[in-house]
Amino acid sequence: MTGTLVTNVEVQKANDLIVKVPLASCTLAAGANKVLESVKKTLEKLGLDASIKRVGCMGLCYLDPWIELESKEMPSAIYANVKPEKVEKIIKDYIEGDLSNALAVRRKTQELGNVPTLDSLPEWRHQVRFVSRNCGLIDPESIEDYLKTGGYSGLKKAIRLSREEVIEIVRKSGLRGRGGAGFPTWYKWRVAYEQKSDIKYVICNGDEGDPGAFMNRLLAESDPHRVLEGLIIAGYAIGASKGYIFVRAEKPLMSDRLEIAVNQARDYGFLGEKILGTDFSFDVEVYRSAGAFVCGEETALIAAIEGRSRPRQRPPYPATSGLLGKPTVINNVETLAHVATIFQVGLEEFTRYGTEKSKGTKMFCVTGSVRKTGVYEVPIGTKIKTLVYDLAGGPPDGKTVKAVQIGGPSGGCLPASLLDLELDYETLQSYGAIMGSGGLVVIDNTNCMVDVAKYFTSFTLAESCGKCLPCRVGMKVVNDILEKITSGAASLEDLEVLKELGEDIMKSSLCALGGTAPNPILSTLRYFRSEYEEHVVDKRCSAKVCLKLVRYEIDSTKCRGCMQCAKNCPVQAISGSPGKVFRIDQSRCIKCGQCLIVCPFGAVMKV
Amino acid sequence: MLDSLSFRRGNEGVAIMVRVYVNDREIDVPHDALIIEAVERAGYEVPTLCYLKGFFNEATCRICLVKVNGRIVPACRFPVLENAKIVVEDNDLRKLRKINLELILATHEIRCWSCVRKGMCELLSLSKKLGVEGIPVCSECPLGEHSCLVLKGIPCLGSLTVAGCDAECPRKGSPCIGCRGYITNEDVWISALRSFYSGNVSISELKSLVDFFWSYLPRNLREILEEVSNNKR
Repeated sequence: MTGTLVTNVEVQKANDLIVKVPLASCTLAAGANKVLESVKKTLEKLGLDASIKRVGCMGLCYLDPWIELESKEMPSAIYANVKPEKVEKIIKDYIEGDLSNALAVRRKTQELGNVPTLDSLPEWRHQVRFVSRNCGLIDPESIEDYLKTGGYSGLKKAIRLSREEVIEIVRKSGLRGRGGAGFPTWYKWRVAYEQKSDIKYVICNGDEGDPGAFMNRLLAESDPHRVLEGLIIAGYAIGASKGYIFVRAEKPLMSDRLEIAVNQARDYGFLGEKILGTDFSFDVEVYRSAGAFVCGEETALIAAIEGRSRPRQRPPYPATSGLLGKPTVINNVETLAHVATIFQVGLEEFTRYGTEKSKGTKMFCVTGSVRKTGVYEVPIGTKIKTLVYDLAGGPPDGKTVKAVQIGGPSGGCLPASLLDLELDYETLQSYGAIMGSGGLVVIDNTNCMVDVAKYFTSFTLAESCGKCLPCRVGMKVVNDILEKITSGAASLEDLEVLKELGEDIMKSSLCALGGTAPNPILSTLRYFRSEYEEHVVDKRCSAKVCLKLVRYEIDSTKCRGCMQCAKNCPVQAISGSPGKVFRIDQSRCIKCGQCLIVCPFGAVMKV
Repeated sequence: MLDSLSFRRGNEGVAIMVRVYVNDREIDVPHDALIIEAVERAGYEVPTLCYLKGFFNEATCRICLVKVNGRIVPACRFPVLENAKIVVEDNDLRKLRKINLELILATHEIRCWSCVRKGMCELLSLSKKLGVEGIPVCSECPLGEHSCLVLKGIPCLGSLTVAGCDAECPRKGSPCIGCRGYITNEDVWISALRSFYSGNVSISELKSLVDFFWSYLPRNLREILEEVSNNKR
């Protein structure tokens, strides 16, 4: 896939050109492979003495695929949304010193016209790149690149300290789990450390199954060694002998890169017997799971490695009895990357950011109805508004933000009036959402909130493992009621049942999947009750999303009888004669919306 | 949450006793006892379905929920904690148990009339105890060992009617007229209709049969009736 790439570039001549091509799942999906081919051809054609360097993704998804050109004479420039056929012009212009096509330059060395620096772009300026500092800069498949940026210095520092001291540093940092619940990392470590057992395990949770969350994938694909270093430090702190990195097989590049990182670390002596001359021995295995949403739950994750993937009732907690009955610490990818970074750059750098109760930064994936989809790392406590408008550029023209869905299927929808809230664990929880893994989906005014709730319940319904009753049956009943509401057959009583049932599922479910699954319904019921009532009482969906409550009609004043709609109707529901007003037979219409698309006069209406 | 995480098991074989409070009754139990054992020792009862002592405690049915220090947990799986305050029964728990039982019944194919247990099952007794509706009179009828009227060809509404009367009428030999109202579980309704009346009764007979609760019939009853009466076995 990656061809003949130079892993580590030694710049020999002063005017040597380096073309950085991001190769991560997201950029590859956007066509980075074709750009890479084009870059290769261009360099050959121009006869340039240049090298191509593979880098990770910097998290600005709306720029994909981008390339970065770098040379000794010129500041390195980033070109966004590169098309393979444009590559030649970009490279020629860059060599000639014309940077006008560039999106931004890394550093302003001289007067460059109106090309902004990357730091001055709003989507970069508001960020604090703490764990994602290397993303998009280094080659993810090269340990030398990582070492140059201070890699594994954290491990070297930690391994000179005693285990208690390492845990104490993590305690002082106030680092909380970045996977969702926000449990203090040091506490898990200490409990596991205090257990008397010959074998202990650490597991890196890279399951990440929330729709709209991909920060773990990005981090592990762009800077896998950082995650691995965090895992080794965690292993040292609790005295573990074996570590697992739990990755979905659906993310092949992520697991490949982590495996490469593990092999390189083993070659460099950061893994294996007697690491760095101490008597600490530790090895890591990348575990590719078949991929189920419930495996993000820690007891289910452990069970998956053991061969069955269903959660079990806690206690005993994994920290006392986890994988194969041994004390096990499970941390999220981002948490471990934070651990490595804290040990590399020091505590103060980390505790500078964040709120009183939760320190540091968090990566958020902003998707949905925004101009600049991407992964943004901001300090905890940043306002939702900043993230949605300043960083992600707000919704596209003509649309307004209606709600923000935070935390995936376990999270809740916050209305636009609450965009002033600060993003931290406690605040979000008190308003019915959760921080979750950090997925933030912006929902605009063309969406129906009941439909949004239905989407998330159908997701959790499908992903429920079926072990405990409230989640298995309760979510089915909830989904049926939502189906009833969106087809206009519900009564107001159903809303009460929905609320009661949702609360029951949350209170009595076995694991966190069921314990949080009703969040999308409860939060939309709380903030958008009028929309539910509109569906139930008026049998109307004002966003015109719920198909059973909308119908297509032809405006007799606008219709010219061109027959386009009748020709394109797949069920022949439209009748009429040429030149006269056409009519839609509602009993046959399947509401596919073809007529609305093809009508040249805008005569078809959705009502 | 922090307290319960630090829960530790003692050395094997040595019974360390811990003190717990079940509904304010003080009691000492071994440190590795389960909540349900502590509750039973204190003389209280927790309703259970999936719990089988010594064999199976996966805590899947969520009926045995109790409150431990204010947190709702399944008694059959949760170990005792030092000085834990256990609440066995209150309005909250009763409501949760009731909803969970209703959820079980929502997917349970209630065919008590043809079940080998003849209505003598934990599920039914628990339903009666918790006041859960949705179980037909047919579930109570076989307890008196009377033969089924429907199978004799007599139109009886027992399979559609909410139980609770101990099947007074069918036991006396006259068909159930549905005085307790139709069961809210529409699926049971339809499957009962199908299994009893399919092909045996004409649609007009069926209509006159269910005349009693005509005013609150399911919306699509007419379609169901037509389908059922057309569907010859």
